[in-house]
Amino acid sequence: MTDRRRINGPAGTTIPPIFEDTSNKEDANSVKGRTRAPDAVRKMFLRTGVTPTASGSAYLEYESSAKSGVSGIKLSCTVHGPRSLPRSSPFSPHIVLSTHVKYAPFATKQRRGYLRDPSERDLGTHLETALRGAIIADRWPKSGVDIIISVIEGDQDRASSGPQSDETWDMMNVLSGCITVASAALADAGIDCVDTVAGGVAALVQGPSEDTPPSVVVDPIPSEHERILGACCIAYLPTRDEVTNLWFKGDLPASEMDLYTKLVENGILASASASKVLVDCLKDALA
Amino acid sequence: MASQIHVNLSPAELAYLHASLSLTPPIRPDGRSPDQYRPLSAETGILPGTNGSARICFADGTEAIVGVKAEVEKTGRRWDDDTIFLEGGGDDEEGGDKEKGSTQQGGNKEWVELTVEIPGQRDDDSATVFLAQMLSEALLADGGFVERLKINRGWHWKLYLDILLISPPLSYPLPLLSLTTHLALLSTRLPRLKSEGDEDPFFDDDWAAAPYLYPRDKKARPPVTLLVMAVGNNIIFDPAKEELAVADVVLAVSVADVADRKGKGVEDEDMDVDGRKLKLLSIRTVDPPSRLTPPGVPNASNTAYGHASAGATQQKMPEARAVESEAVEGVWKAPRGGAKLAVMGALVQKVLQKGGVADEVLDALEAVDLS
Amino acid sequence: MPLDTSTYSLALLRVDGRRWNELRRLHAQIRTQAAADGSSYLEMGHTKVMCVVTGPSEPGPRRGGGIGGGAGGQSKDAEVVVNIVIAGFSSVDRKRRGRGDKRTQEMQSTVANALAASLHTHLFPHSQINVSLHVLSQDGSLLAALINAATLACVDAGIPMTDYVAACTAGSTSTYAANDESADPLLDLNHQEEQELPSLTVATLGDSDRVVVLVCESRVQISRLEGMLAVGVDGCKQVRELLDRVVREKGQRMILEGTVEKGTGLNDLD
Repeated sequence: MTDRRRINGPAGTTIPPIFEDTSNKEDANSVKGRTRAPDAVRKMFLRTGVTPTASGSAYLEYESSAKSGVSGIKLSCTVHGPRSLPRSSPFSPHIVLSTHVKYAPFATKQRRGYLRDPSERDLGTHLETALRGAIIADRWPKSGVDIIISVIEGDQDRASSGPQSDETWDMMNVLSGCITVASAALADAGIDCVDTVAGGVAALVQGPSEDTPPSVVVDPIPSEHERILGACCIAYLPTRDEVTNLWFKGDLPASEMDLYTKLVENGILASASASKVLVDCLKDALA
Repeated sequence: MASQIHVNLSPAELAYLHASLSLTPPIRPDGRSPDQYRPLSAETGILPGTNGSARICFADGTEAIVGVKAEVEKTGRRWDDDTIFLEGGGDDEEGGDKEKGSTQQGGNKEWVELTVEIPGQRDDDSATVFLAQMLSEALLADGGFVERLKINRGWHWKLYLDILLISPPLSYPLPLLSLTTHLALLSTRLPRLKSEGDEDPFFDDDWAAAPYLYPRDKKARPPVTLLVMAVGNNIIFDPAKEELAVADVVLAVSVADVADRKGKGVEDEDMDVDGRKLKLLSIRTVDPPSRLTPPGVPNASNTAYGHASAGATQQKMPEARAVESEAVEGVWKAPRGGAKLAVMGALVQKVLQKGGVADEVLDALEAVDLS
Repeated sequence: MPLDTSTYSLALLRVDGRRWNELRRLHAQIRTQAAADGSSYLEMGHTKVMCVVTGPSEPGPRRGGGIGGGAGGQSKDAEVVVNIVIAGFSSVDRKRRGRGDKRTQEMQSTVANALAASLHTHLFPHSQINVSLHVLSQDGSLLAALINAATLACVDAGIPMTDYVAACTAGSTSTYAANDESADPLLDLNHQEEQELPSLTVATLGDSDRVVVLVCESRVQISRLEGMLAVGVDGCKQVRELLDRVVREKGQRMILEGTVEKGTGLNDLD
């Protein structure tokens, strides 16, 4: 489907020019690797109530990495509702959740269109799964709530020209951010949840050389690692110790189940630290 | 999404279903054992106009057809092929190093286009998109797959997979669509290349000489995605619609055979002849429709029985809420919250188990005669 | 590649070796799928179509494309909703058509109109008959194949109807531009002929000459039209016989297998 309502950019793909960084080549090389500990997540900034017109809203920003040109994630979430369903829709004993995730056209290296593409719809479905478990849906029969997330900046390494497959790993990072920010916005809107759900990502990365065994890190930035073998994104309810959404992707032999388990455990670790930020932020908002 | 497939079951029926599925061993409405798939009939190569096609009918009558079509496409110059640096020229050693990395990468995920058609649903519906993404994710997670589509440096095959669900969506169609796609890919053949090197490709006209996309002698096989759910302590494979309506957690797990490929971090040790080595490609949580089922009302709070008057409950709102979260035996309540990690781990473990369901399904698919 | 019609006058044979009044091989099956109320599979040459009928049933959420009812579940007649999916792999070059494709929509409403006219929709008030058609391979006469498949599936679904709606295409041996006075009519065009020659699709109700559908989207001299129509209607009668045979054979087999009770009508069946 083409977008006929707006004037779009040229349809043909262009390759953004990449300039060689000649100024401080040594420096650039030295920070190529990961500077954080394997079990440390990036710092994040979360604030609720940023959009006055919405029932609930939140803004989340990840610290940009030490390497120049690598942007962090910036997400803005608004929650509209609970409000009554339109008269035409059938009866629902529960709150009807609808989630929209949309990248801003400038959020990634490749320009995004105005219409949601399949990957954005996919993110929306993941988010819905993650949130539906947390919301106490039967307290609002016959009503609906819209959760809208704009990705202002996606996790894309603009300076280096990483292979395109990085995009899929970035999606996981964005999803984990989406879950956290949506949870904050839901709390801001006063919608009852069983717990605050927070997202976290862990990845299995190739070591610096081919011989070293792969290791598990949390909150991976694809450009900081040689190669990502697999990653998982987890939506976690810390006080109930439950997982509402698990998304794993990679190439993992079945014989190495413990690697998988380790990956999931690290994902939960990442979610738990995101949850701390989330809870602190909500407490601050009350104070 | 599964939650959009509506089941018209009353809370009492749901409670009964949940109870019988939680027994040990569980009693399924259609009498299957917990890890038994629905019987199916399959055929391949049904459409001569395609590069590969397959049709599967499940015993409950759901049917799907998958057609694969391949077109030759020019490979767009990417940054890593032979990027011309605008300034400084770029030093050769680094460039060469990068190139090596990129050839390992091989293909591009845009070379595969997968569409799912489900009657009565829009094709940009999020449920359909979710299905399509899930199936293509599994396909692409196996990095070797797109590599096969490469013809030479300038050209590649673009593969179009069109997945049609013929029957009305009676149950969550994921297992059916995944199995049909698997067979269609197995039967896919691409014309034999006659040109050499990087010249513009031309192909052999003889269809009989066309090699299979997944060569027969190698063990490589396309992935399959299995749907598995948990109710109480039981793990149930290939759930029907009614069973999904009471599921606590539903996972879609994609697995594939480990191919005889080297240098992929998998050391092929003693590969016994019939022992299959599985690998895990992707896991997704599917939103269980059980979360949207209507809750039952326990007798204790049912005004029709005169146990509590409506006015009294409204006055004591906090107490009413306490009652709300309390489970009453035999009264259906939509599951709330997520799943314990141990349950999810058990689900995945059960799928990957040696000689488990994944093995069984792959064996059954191998037995299908590929014409 | 333009179709070479010059050889026709020499041997009176068409590109695929048929004579002017010959149908392509028509192969059909009914009751192909257990889950549906009615289903069929139809091949006309290389055009392959599958049809699944659900209903008459309570109307689901409103979707467009309904004919014959008007206000959905409120009407006194059953509503016939036709949904056509043209598979991306059906043509030689892969071409994906969206749901909103106008040609598909037109075919949907044509099929829906044709069925609504022959089905006894007044017997099922406040209900909906869902016909979903899947095009697996196309080689001309698509609309005709769709109508035939839908008829068979409705028969399988056991929806009362006045008679078979049998459809087929007719064309003319030379192009409009050639303005050839001696052009002969042709029956059942394939894709190549359809591209070049003037053609029309006609559907009749059963044995009668009553035309239910007539679609002509190409330019043709008025003098040729009558001949084309006559050949088309004649073709429809042949198609009706073929469809009837398919239904009877399946019915007979079902009785022999004991799937259905042996009724009084067994003697009428052969």
